[in-house]
Amino acid sequence: MRLRAGVAIYVVPLLVLMLVAFDVPIVLMLAQSVLSPHPTVAHWAELADSPIYLRVLGNTFQVATITAVVCGLIGYPLAYWMRGLRPGMQLVVVTLVLLPFWISILVRTYAWIVVLGNNGIVNRSLMGLGFTDRPVAFLYNQLGVTIGTTNVLLPFLVLPLFAAMLKIDERLLQAAATLGAPRRAIFWRVFFPLSLPAFAAGLVLVFILTLGFYVTPAILGGGRVPMIANMLDVLINTLPRWELAAAISTVLLAATLALYAVYRTIAARAA
Amino acid sequence: MRPGLGVAAVALATLVFLVLPIVIVVIMSFSSAASLQFPPPGFSLRWYHSFFGDPRWVRALTTSTLLAFASSIIALVLGSAAAYGIVRGRFPGRGLIDSNFMAPLILPTIVIAVALYLFLAKVGLLGTAAGLVASHVVLSVPFVVLVVGVAIRSFDERIEQVAFTLGASRRQTVLRVLLPNILPSLASAWILALIASFDEVIVTLFVAGTYQTVPKRMFNELVLEVNPTITAIATILIGLSVLAIGAIGLITARRGGLLGTMLGR
Repeated sequence: MRLRAGVAIYVVPLLVLMLVAFDVPIVLMLAQSVLSPHPTVAHWAELADSPIYLRVLGNTFQVATITAVVCGLIGYPLAYWMRGLRPGMQLVVVTLVLLPFWISILVRTYAWIVVLGNNGIVNRSLMGLGFTDRPVAFLYNQLGVTIGTTNVLLPFLVLPLFAAMLKIDERLLQAAATLGAPRRAIFWRVFFPLSLPAFAAGLVLVFILTLGFYVTPAILGGGRVPMIANMLDVLINTLPRWELAAAISTVLLAATLALYAVYRTIAARAA
Repeated sequence: MRPGLGVAAVALATLVFLVLPIVIVVIMSFSSAASLQFPPPGFSLRWYHSFFGDPRWVRALTTSTLLAFASSIIALVLGSAAAYGIVRGRFPGRGLIDSNFMAPLILPTIVIAVALYLFLAKVGLLGTAAGLVASHVVLSVPFVVLVVGVAIRSFDERIEQVAFTLGASRRQTVLRVLLPNILPSLASAWILALIASFDEVIVTLFVAGTYQTVPKRMFNELVLEVNPTITAIATILIGLSVLAIGAIGLITARRGGLLGTMLGR
């Protein structure tokens, strides 16, 4: 068909830009960990031998796991509740869930300093109600990082999960009820298994996104909760140890791509 | 099947958890106190005065705006053309090229920041406007390819074929048949790219050199100290975001809406 011949040309300008300003930089970075200043595995050996790097990697995976679990625990009930609302209310709640999605991560992270700081609304309420004499340290520790990260990433779990729950056929639940299943059994043996692929996909997505988080740990962790991204910042801008940064980026890149493949597989089953 | 009261309670608490911080920042920005006391002892506009009265913040705002407009317009032009090529073309490697364009959305931004830093340092473009704009285009172009791609896919190709058969050139077919029909999606894609660039902080921190953008200044101030002026900037950014969602909502309302598209309905 003549209309279709030569359409490929339209892709070229962006492709050239992406090759120069994205693909080449990524490949050069990967190469730098083994080729700088000459072919060597020294940087990787240093990475494997240094307990501090392994500890930060472990810490990052720990925060990512906790964040995914918390997002699941509070996100599932929210999505489930949204499914039962009238369509008009659903639109309002979806908009509320989407709202933070649109607002700069920086702003949302900053908000937690206002809310959870020593002088913040939560600590003032706790002290006013006599639960505690001294402000509770919510910030500048792992708790603060987890709260901030969960807040930022929750919509990534809730919205796709809600969309998947809407597609679950109400008649299946009615059939179970007609056959005498109690509410609890209908939920756990019919509804939950049907929502599980989307739920699992959401959990993996939150986990992946937490791995590369930089802004929230930097601000709410106060430098006390080192994650991979913050360590990269130090290795590039402070020390500087570019080859080590390249090696750690490679690890992060590989972990992300592997998990993303898992996510795609589960999400395909959910769809 | 309707969820019980326990579920509703957890759901409402979660909703408050999502939205509360934003509401509180907006209220705090009008506080008259220098401390982050809540509720504020009185209302004033002092933090807005302190923002607009500080030439460093105003300069950062100018830089952010120019950068966002430049990179989003480049992203819109290149991304829309690429979306057309990918959706309508039948050449080998299309899937791979499409994934390549989407990759900046999936890879951790910090990895992209490190890669661009090392590369721009090597070619001597670190801290230049060209390097900064190119980085922002790379990060915002996936939104354009995604949104415009969906729009072109849902536009009946036979209408283009009719124009072509009646003697229109491809240029005319694209500019006078396709583009007017996908205008709402082009506008949405442009707004998305604009926000993506305006809010970008991580890559900017690494490659901007002496250029100061609003998010970069905010980040650097936040790491050091808590300054209530930030509440005013945060509120302005929230206002811009709400305006942008409203605009996209209005633009796409006639076509099932972006919400509908995002939820796959």
